[in-house]
Amino acid sequence: MARQIMRFTGVGGQGVLLAGEIFAAAKIKKGGFGLKTATYTSQVRGGPTVVDITLDDDEIFYPYANDGEIDFMLSVAQKSYDLFKDGVTPGGTIVVDPFLVHPTDEDRKKWKIIEIPIITIAKEEVGNVITQSVVALAIANTLLKPLDKETLVETMLSKVPAKVHAANIKAYELGEKYANESSSK
Amino acid sequence: MASKKREVVSSGNELAALAARDAGCKFFGGYPITPSSEVMHEMSDLMPEVGGVCIQMEDEIAGVAAAIGAGMAGVRTMTATSGPGISLKAENLGLAQMAEVPLVVVNVMRGGPSTGLPTRVSQGDVRQAKNPSHGDYRSITLCAGNLEECYTEVVRAFNLADRFMQPVFVLTDETIGHMHGKAMLPTEEEVKAGIVPRKTFDGAPEDYRPYECAPDQPAVLNPMFKGYRYHFTGLHHDAKGFPTEEIETCRKLIQRLEDKVMMHADEIELNEEFMLDDMTGEKGEILIIAYGSVSLAAKEAIRHLRAQGIKAGLFRPITLWPSPATSIKKYTDMIKNVLCVELNIRQYTEEVERVSQRLDIEGLYKVNGRAISPYEIVNKVKEVF
Repeated sequence: MARQIMRFTGVGGQGVLLAGEIFAAAKIKKGGFGLKTATYTSQVRGGPTVVDITLDDDEIFYPYANDGEIDFMLSVAQKSYDLFKDGVTPGGTIVVDPFLVHPTDEDRKKWKIIEIPIITIAKEEVGNVITQSVVALAIANTLLKPLDKETLVETMLSKVPAKVHAANIKAYELGEKYANESSSK
Repeated sequence: MASKKREVVSSGNELAALAARDAGCKFFGGYPITPSSEVMHEMSDLMPEVGGVCIQMEDEIAGVAAAIGAGMAGVRTMTATSGPGISLKAENLGLAQMAEVPLVVVNVMRGGPSTGLPTRVSQGDVRQAKNPSHGDYRSITLCAGNLEECYTEVVRAFNLADRFMQPVFVLTDETIGHMHGKAMLPTEEEVKAGIVPRKTFDGAPEDYRPYECAPDQPAVLNPMFKGYRYHFTGLHHDAKGFPTEEIETCRKLIQRLEDKVMMHADEIELNEEFMLDDMTGEKGEILIIAYGSVSLAAKEAIRHLRAQGIKAGLFRPITLWPSPATSIKKYTDMIKNVLCVELNIRQYTEEVERVSQRLDIEGLYKVNGRAISPYEIVNKVKEVF
């Protein structure tokens, strides 16, 4: 597998970090290499946050995504979207929550922009806003396919408390469904 | 500790705490500070499990004071902080140097000076680690360059602290501290088998002279509460630790603090040589010198440069202080094009200049809290050589 680089962006407190850890751990479980790094500001909540996830079959040294080499970005905050979008390779995929992020027409020409209401799905369909990171995880994995679903879900469940397993499985299934629908459009 | 059998998926900060537990640490005194806080979080879970203590004190100063107290009592002890914390702890670190109290200090570096850039990466504390406090003494400073070394260098620091009876720094940084991925570690049993505890005196208590030792050796400090009485002080002191101004005693004491480290620097030196084995000294070869998280970018850069037909390699000191002078000189004598890459302004380049006796060393420096990318290194190499 060639190196796959994903970037999740949001604002501090949204829980975008966890999805990165799950991806890295699942890739390692399969015998490969995975690294997650997060960059955030000193604001406790509300500062732009970016999580870079690098997955490879070979050893990874530098842990950050190089601008211009990112295949996939997911964003749930306008200010983070604006700050970090230019790292995505032209023609790459950017998933945004259409209620929170408004790409320009120029952006739509440069990248494949997919709109999925991630926060609304977590809040209203799953019933727990915290599951948004798992909805995001499912969307990324369905669109980019870095890992098989079984390993990823198993790893995800090992990192969340047992009492919320059902909600997180539901979040994953919904994320997968929306991603499949968006890519068949 | 050559074999690496244990796969752990974790962050640098958590691995530093795990290493402390496995190396027999029984006390952590500190005060949480970004980006080092996870070390303390983890220690607060791990210490009670092994009958140890983790205590959050009222500030950075009290944190290191508590940790030094535990070291005086005789247990393996650690504190963790970031640059602003070291600034506050400096006075007590000087006390630990003078009184010869073993202690491991993990510094997860962030942007400075002052409170700087709390959540951003830097290597700005390299010079500080060499001399955090006033007076003559020799710092032992190790620098982790990947996740594995957040573990192995903390283990090594505990053994060096007990061998040399003084604080030992482990520098990491925000990047490595918060980076999350796979580390292949030695097993717990291997680490335990490698523990060399501090020397103790087991003769009659009335014959005990903790600070009366060979001119190149550290003090022999018995654990407290075992019937061996002596005195701790930051003042110049005699064989039993009591203050003195006797001319020869004072001279010998400070000379010994210097010599106990510098005459045994070979026991402390550790480097990585990455893609240097095919270097011959021919024209066009590039030597990159980098340490800590920057070396990760340097390795990727070397992959790119080599793919483009440029023969580049990395010399990475893992022990920063005392510096690996002979090893650096060997490579700077052989290779003409030398580039130092640091997340500060010339803090280690000046040491490379000193030991190489060369003033034509090129540098790539960054101090805005952002990492140096492999491409920046590639471009710099192409620009200057």
